[in-house]
Amino acid sequence: MALLFDILLSGLILGGMYALIAIGLTLQYGVARIMNLSYGEFLIVAAFSAFFVYSGLAMSPLLGLIVILPLAFAVNWLVYQILLTPLVRRAKNRDMLEVDSILATFGLLFVVQGILLVMFGGQYYSYSYLSVPVDIFGSVVAWNRLLALLVALAIGFVVYLLLTRTRQGTAIRAVAVNPVSAELCGINIGKAAAFAFALGGAIVASGGVLISMFLTFNAAMGVVFTMKALIVVIMGGVGNIMGALVAGLLLGIAETAVARLVDPGLTLAVTFALFIIVLLVRPTGLFGRPAR
Amino acid sequence: MSLRCVPWLVLGGVILALLAAFPLAASGYHLALGISVLYYTVLATAWALFSGPTRYISLATVAFFGIGAYTVAVVGEMLPWPLVLLTAAGVGTVIALIVGLSTLRLSGIYFVIFSFGLAELIRQLVTWYEVNIHKSVGRYIFLPITQEQIYWQLLALAVLVLLTGWLIGRSRLGLALRVIGEDETVARHVGIDTTWAKLALFAISAVFMTLTGAVMAPRWTYIDPSIAFNPMVSFQVVIMALLGGAGALFGPLLGVLPLVFLFEILSANFPNYFSILLGVVFIFVVYVLPHGVVGFLQKHWPKAKLAPFNATPAFVASAEPRGALLDVDAVSRNFGGLVAVDNMSFTIQPGEIVGLIGPNGSGKTTMLNLISGALVPSAGNIRFRGRDIAGKSPHTIARLGIARTFQLVRVLSSMTASENVIAGLAYRATPLWGAEAARHAAALLGKVGLADKAHLPADQLTYIDQKRLELARALALEPELLLLDEWLAGLNPTELGEGIALIQSLRDSGLTIIMVEHVMDAIRSLCGRCVVMNVGKKIADGPPATVLADPEVIRAYLGDSDA
Repeated sequence: MALLFDILLSGLILGGMYALIAIGLTLQYGVARIMNLSYGEFLIVAAFSAFFVYSGLAMSPLLGLIVILPLAFAVNWLVYQILLTPLVRRAKNRDMLEVDSILATFGLLFVVQGILLVMFGGQYYSYSYLSVPVDIFGSVVAWNRLLALLVALAIGFVVYLLLTRTRQGTAIRAVAVNPVSAELCGINIGKAAAFAFALGGAIVASGGVLISMFLTFNAAMGVVFTMKALIVVIMGGVGNIMGALVAGLLLGIAETAVARLVDPGLTLAVTFALFIIVLLVRPTGLFGRPAR
Repeated sequence: MSLRCVPWLVLGGVILALLAAFPLAASGYHLALGISVLYYTVLATAWALFSGPTRYISLATVAFFGIGAYTVAVVGEMLPWPLVLLTAAGVGTVIALIVGLSTLRLSGIYFVIFSFGLAELIRQLVTWYEVNIHKSVGRYIFLPITQEQIYWQLLALAVLVLLTGWLIGRSRLGLALRVIGEDETVARHVGIDTTWAKLALFAISAVFMTLTGAVMAPRWTYIDPSIAFNPMVSFQVVIMALLGGAGALFGPLLGVLPLVFLFEILSANFPNYFSILLGVVFIFVVYVLPHGVVGFLQKHWPKAKLAPFNATPAFVASAEPRGALLDVDAVSRNFGGLVAVDNMSFTIQPGEIVGLIGPNGSGKTTMLNLISGALVPSAGNIRFRGRDIAGKSPHTIARLGIARTFQLVRVLSSMTASENVIAGLAYRATPLWGAEAARHAAALLGKVGLADKAHLPADQLTYIDQKRLELARALALEPELLLLDEWLAGLNPTELGEGIALIQSLRDSGLTIIMVEHVMDAIRSLCGRCVVMNVGKKIADGPPATVLADPEVIRAYLGDSDA
């Protein structure tokens, strides 16, 4: 029973991270129509930045968010404007943009990863911030994990409000549903797409900062996070924020259960198994909205 | 074999002999470079076999390559070498089938995502197995196979993969894949079993990758999962194939040659920056040469246009006079809470032209989609010549003899008009291929008035000509029942007259037609009967003059006050 609660709690924390980064990806893919394979690399960049904030400047990594988030937003906005806009202009239809963006961001993946490898090498990094044990109903969790979950929830909530309560957010949702109609309503879809892409980038950066507080990471790990975010997005239904939340939590719990009960080396296998099951049973994602 | 081929065959033979003799003269360094060129040639060509025509980008090359290498590490010393290769090919096929069956039924993006993580997944699984069951991460490979032998085996594989690609390109399977790459919906509606076609080619491509891994394995005396499943290999293969051009058989080769040398120089001089430089080269290729060197050459030195086929117009649609040809029985279809088609029943007799009419949103296109198999009914039966076809896949229904056109024209835009029609001929119940298919395609194009445009790419045709082409493609299936979804919409008065005459000539040849249409003149002059739908339900069924005077029909079109 205690083990079960342990798994549930750790799974929820991990799953919260997955949900957060999947929300960012669903913005990039659902609104900007960019299938970003280099997504996870930006998570790792943020993790290293947080590491630098804590070890180099001796500040709380959460304070680092104040600088890291706007910076990530700006960098991703530039990536969209410089690297991806030519592809958007060139694409005759959505399928072509998908193929081109997969290829371009696949290249970007190796560039960013290569730079990280030159700077940090292949070894694992971690730092110990607020690793104070907390007792929750008999389960012991570190403060940093709990705090990461709370901050993730807060960020997710702010994003939710931004999308549902503001003009810019409404424009973004309109573009996600139907770019042609959105344009007819006077929405500048290029601007909305760039904003959504940049927002997605800022969200994944926040995920990187939070994850670095309690997980070890290295320069080559981005791909795994991209993979998991993609799978959560597909499971939840593209563009569906609530879907990403539920699917993310589910994946976190399933992974933690297998890591605790079977073998930590099989977590990716669990991810894939879940992916296949969802594809076979509900190809449109858990919440019914078709993926395209 | 014609005489023209002889010089090419001689040339090919001489090149092959020179390549085979290369190891006898080469130094160790040059031999190693030769091996690199050959093994990337096999991998990139195999990659392009599948990803070129279907445009499904596979990021999983190294997954199969690593499986091949690991098979050698495990069984290499137990079995004679040919059996080792056979085992590797077998394992590769099985894994390709598992991956393909779970992802290729769905749209391309799932496949890409899956392939993206596949190498990492297999690496983790192998590592887990090695650590927990084999109790050591790496394995040693001591096999008495020299570098020269590896070179020759790779050369044989390269010849084999190019030959396979050439044969597939000339086969019906090759055409099927190009149609899938252009428009998967059309592919299904001309009778192509798209899942099977994709799966077959994915497996073939994977077998070559696995064999390459197996042949290369003896080069390492020690392997562990991170050596065998190095993601860089997948990446390099994609760059090479794209640089050359994945659409043409020898395209990847054009990418392999310069890039192997470039990577050799880069990894020798900037080992630490290799990944960054690779990424930059890759992005450069995607932006500057989106269709590869081959596409660039084709654009700037286009090949001489093919002469159109000689038209021999001779077309007879078969129709057996029997009971009802199509029997739609209490069919419903709902999307969530919306009932788009509600308890529809009607029958179609052979030789009839029936108009399916009704206001916008009344469910006409949904009804056609249910008949053609694009959608599965939520309830009810559809019988075609007495056979239940409700819920059958589109390609089965197409082969049974129901062809359709689409409301928004769907032509295979980068293929020629002639190829568009051949797509309809090649996968019907009595398939045609080769010269006979070309002759038939020419005849059909002549029938719809496109005889002189056979060699033009479909996207260069005007709107009316694209509609004609779509009709020719549907007729190519030799259907007994033709479904026309607003085929006359958007035509100017002259074109409309031509269109009506064309449909009339089809009826005279005995074809049965259901046409969804808003052009009332056409309905009056063509249809013997009309079925009227409103909000998913049938509200009238009878001769056009009668139903168009029916108060309920007028109310449905114009509202209560005009009835």
